Amino acid sequence: MHHNPIDIRHLNYVYPDGTQALKEINLSIKATERVALIGANGSGKSTLLLHFNGLLIPQTGSIVVGELDMQPQNLKAIRNFVGLVFQNPDDQLFMPTVWEDVTFGPLNQGLKGHELEHRAAKAMKAVSLDPNQYGSRNANHLSGGEKKRVAIAGVLAMQPQVLILDEPSAQLDPRCRRELIHLLDSLPLTQLIATHDLDLALELCDRTVVLSRGSIVFDGSTERILGDSQLLDQYALELPLSYSRPYCQLEHAPAA
Amino acid sequence: MLLHIGAFHLDVDSQQISPWHCLVPKTRVLCTLLLLFAIALTPNGRWWTWAIYAVGVGAIVLSSRATLSVLFKRVAVESVFIGVVLLGTLFRGGGAVLWQWGWLQVTTEGLWVLGSVTIKALLSLLLANVLVLTTSVPELLQALTVLRMPPLLVAILASMYRYIAVLVGEFQSMQRAALSRNLMGSQRWQRLVIGNMFGSLFIRTVERGERVHQAMLSRGYEGLQPTITSPVGNQRDVVALTLTAVLTLLGQSIYLFSVV
Repeated sequence: MHHNPIDIRHLNYVYPDGTQALKEINLSIKATERVALIGANGSGKSTLLLHFNGLLIPQTGSIVVGELDMQPQNLKAIRNFVGLVFQNPDDQLFMPTVWEDVTFGPLNQGLKGHELEHRAAKAMKAVSLDPNQYGSRNANHLSGGEKKRVAIAGVLAMQPQVLILDEPSAQLDPRCRRELIHLLDSLPLTQLIATHDLDLALELCDRTVVLSRGSIVFDGSTERILGDSQLLDQYALELPLSYSRPYCQLEHAPAA
Repeated sequence: MLLHIGAFHLDVDSQQISPWHCLVPKTRVLCTLLLLFAIALTPNGRWWTWAIYAVGVGAIVLSSRATLSVLFKRVAVESVFIGVVLLGTLFRGGGAVLWQWGWLQVTTEGLWVLGSVTIKALLSLLLANVLVLTTSVPELLQALTVLRMPPLLVAILASMYRYIAVLVGEFQSMQRAALSRNLMGSQRWQRLVIGNMFGSLFIRTVERGERVHQAMLSRGYEGLQPTITSPVGNQRDVVALTLTAVLTLLGQSIYLFSVV
């Protein structure tokens, strides 16, 4: 395990139409740390996430993943090191059957035969899907929660050390969301979770990074930012429900 | 009709147990292709050759235990499309004129060609439909990869199969959204709106394609689909292939020896 999996220095990104998506991003994530990335729509979260995996190459500034500099010749190693789970599972499940999709990454890594089967079966079991039952199913006929789990299994099968998730709880019903939280909690990986679900951030991550208009405006303890309604309001965010829920009994009333 | 493909179950009989299902997908594709080419490349008017091939096709249909009602229904629907093309061959010139009305004429030559092409089309449709009925699409795609079809083409077919249902779903939800806001009006207006829907569907497809490509790259895709080990054939497959080859040669040799 690397001591410092991800280190970003002075990262800027301008879209071809001139919009500045990311401004002077400095961020460093330690091994096994779980970090929430929050911010309003259009604040640059997804653009930042695409940088971690080398899908976007830094225009200015530098990114070091593990000990690898983000350069075209290191991309293969970086993509094995960092697993990216996309927001819409339909974009990520592109193979005809679930089994083919989960084995896509390991096959690209050059795995074959028994080892490949073992790796894919293990990844599917990690997201509580039975390989025999789900392996031959068509990705079209899965429910939203199942698709999400297959998408995560496909990334886990590559055995990355860093897991990056874009809106993992979007489009999930409460039970699927709860299962996802348990799953992420049980994975001993470095995780970066971009989300609008602040309760999920509060539950899973000790550290939170807030993006606003392409720059990092807060980087610190999750409880501190999510307890500060003024600061949240300033960045177009809201208190998590678990903080704003009314009390039922007098003794649960917040101290005035 | 295309818009209902998402709900359409192609491989109705892929879980059956039969002599045909015992063959690995690669062999089934090869046998089908061999017979298809033999049927299609036979010159017009060689009725006995097709009779022999019909026996082969019949044997495959029966041995595959395909659901005949589904098979015939599909062949019937597809024949309608082919019928439109065939109609053109009926009115071609040459030979004795049997019937004439203005410039339209039916000749012996036209009938002769029509009969030949119809038999070719019918046999080919039966054969292709049995293959699709009894073999799931992922298995077919794997078989094509094993048969050295360019991997990029197979990848295109695979994503087409994967995403057609997603596209149909998107189109239907757009249609529902339009209906829920009272898309009635004149026929012309409806056509205009549906045209716009196709336009935005096209743009969404391009965008989705980009996102899918990113998802592929992020899992180590380097331009070539990884190959998956597929089941290896045994003696049964060799026998099936040999039988098909013998049948095709037999069909061709009849005219070789009797006519020449």
